[in-house]
Amino acid sequence: MSEHVSTRVNSARLPFYIGKMVRLPCKILNFNSASATVQAADGGEVIIRLIADIPMSDTFVEVIGNVVDATTIKMMGCVNLGSDLDLKLVNDTIELIHDPRFYKRMFVPDS
Amino acid sequence: MSQYNDFGGASNPYYSNGASGGGYMPTGSPFSASGSPGGLKRSEASHSLRPLTAAQIIKATQAHTDADWMIDDMEVGQVTIVGQVCSVQAQATNCVYWIDDGTGRVEARHWVDSSNEEDAEKWSGIEDGVYIRVTGGLKTFGNKRYINATHMRPVKDAHEIYFHTLEAIHVTLILERGPPLGIGQAAQPRAPANATAITGGTNAYANQSSSVANFDEYSHLPALQRSIIRFILEQPHNDEGIHVAAIARAIGTDGDALKISQALDQLMDEGHVFSTIDDSHFNVSR
Repeated sequence: MSEHVSTRVNSARLPFYIGKMVRLPCKILNFNSASATVQAADGGEVIIRLIADIPMSDTFVEVIGNVVDATTIKMMGCVNLGSDLDLKLVNDTIELIHDPRFYKRMFVPDS
Repeated sequence: MSQYNDFGGASNPYYSNGASGGGYMPTGSPFSASGSPGGLKRSEASHSLRPLTAAQIIKATQAHTDADWMIDDMEVGQVTIVGQVCSVQAQATNCVYWIDDGTGRVEARHWVDSSNEEDAEKWSGIEDGVYIRVTGGLKTFGNKRYINATHMRPVKDAHEIYFHTLEAIHVTLILERGPPLGIGQAAQPRAPANATAITGGTNAYANQSSSVANFDEYSHLPALQRSIIRFILEQPHNDEGIHVAAIARAIGTDGDALKISQALDQLMDEGHVFSTIDDSHFNVSR
């Protein structure tokens, strides 16, 4: 049960999650069949390695995947978030999620 | 003290709430030392709806089956969560969904009445990968916990996901610390301005900073009533109570006798003060 944790992150948090599953809400900047470049909630750019058959039709998506390194995520899945998303709001939410006052208490199932 | 015998019963017309101060007990409350305004009565908490993350639900504890669920020492009744459907299993009598919101996975079950067609339509928008909002009560089956879903619907605007996270943080903080400071409390750092606004007297309010902590529960009252209570509280404890003339002198020329006696009547109606040896002496209910 506790292994299914995929914390929401922005680009600044990626280095802390290398090898782990994360969710990255982002805006698609451009993409081809193998990879996409996206802008995370804090404005940083991340490269997403795509796998086939996952529809990324909207401008804003939440990429669920494994962190390869500080700027690359290997996608496992994706959720369309529409064409209008306030990334500043999303970033503020992500920063609150990671705030030490709340993180362990509310966003990690084991502790 | 024989005069206190009247106060527990219904015979005193002013005193409908007994000594409990209308639920704002500053001591004996399990929730915090200062009688936290976040201290809901038990029955209220179990009927209220709490936004949570999956991690919080997973960490909820239950003293024994049929006992209430507790999260952070706060009773939980109905919950709501926003997450992605990661699996749907339709069975004969129910439908099992697993919801993943990034902090963990929880199970939600919806008991299906298959003869009802409307029901079937209502639940059709929910498939793998879609973000939904689930509302329902926390239950156990064997040793597994699940949400008994009374309401599930797809999320229409992606902002709802982030709103829900923020709301969960907000409610968790309110339950821990009480609501954000109201007008009464906010006046504390501006004590000099506060004192002149309410009355001309400054001496009686010299101890404001130490006793203000107890005024959480009075911050919703009008200024005159607050200052009456504050004055009574600052006098040395006296079983005979404080005479209304002393209160009137301390409040200053601002409150004429009629206003003060009306304020005292209102305070008695709410149970915050009670009369002691006669109708002119009052004490604060504690």
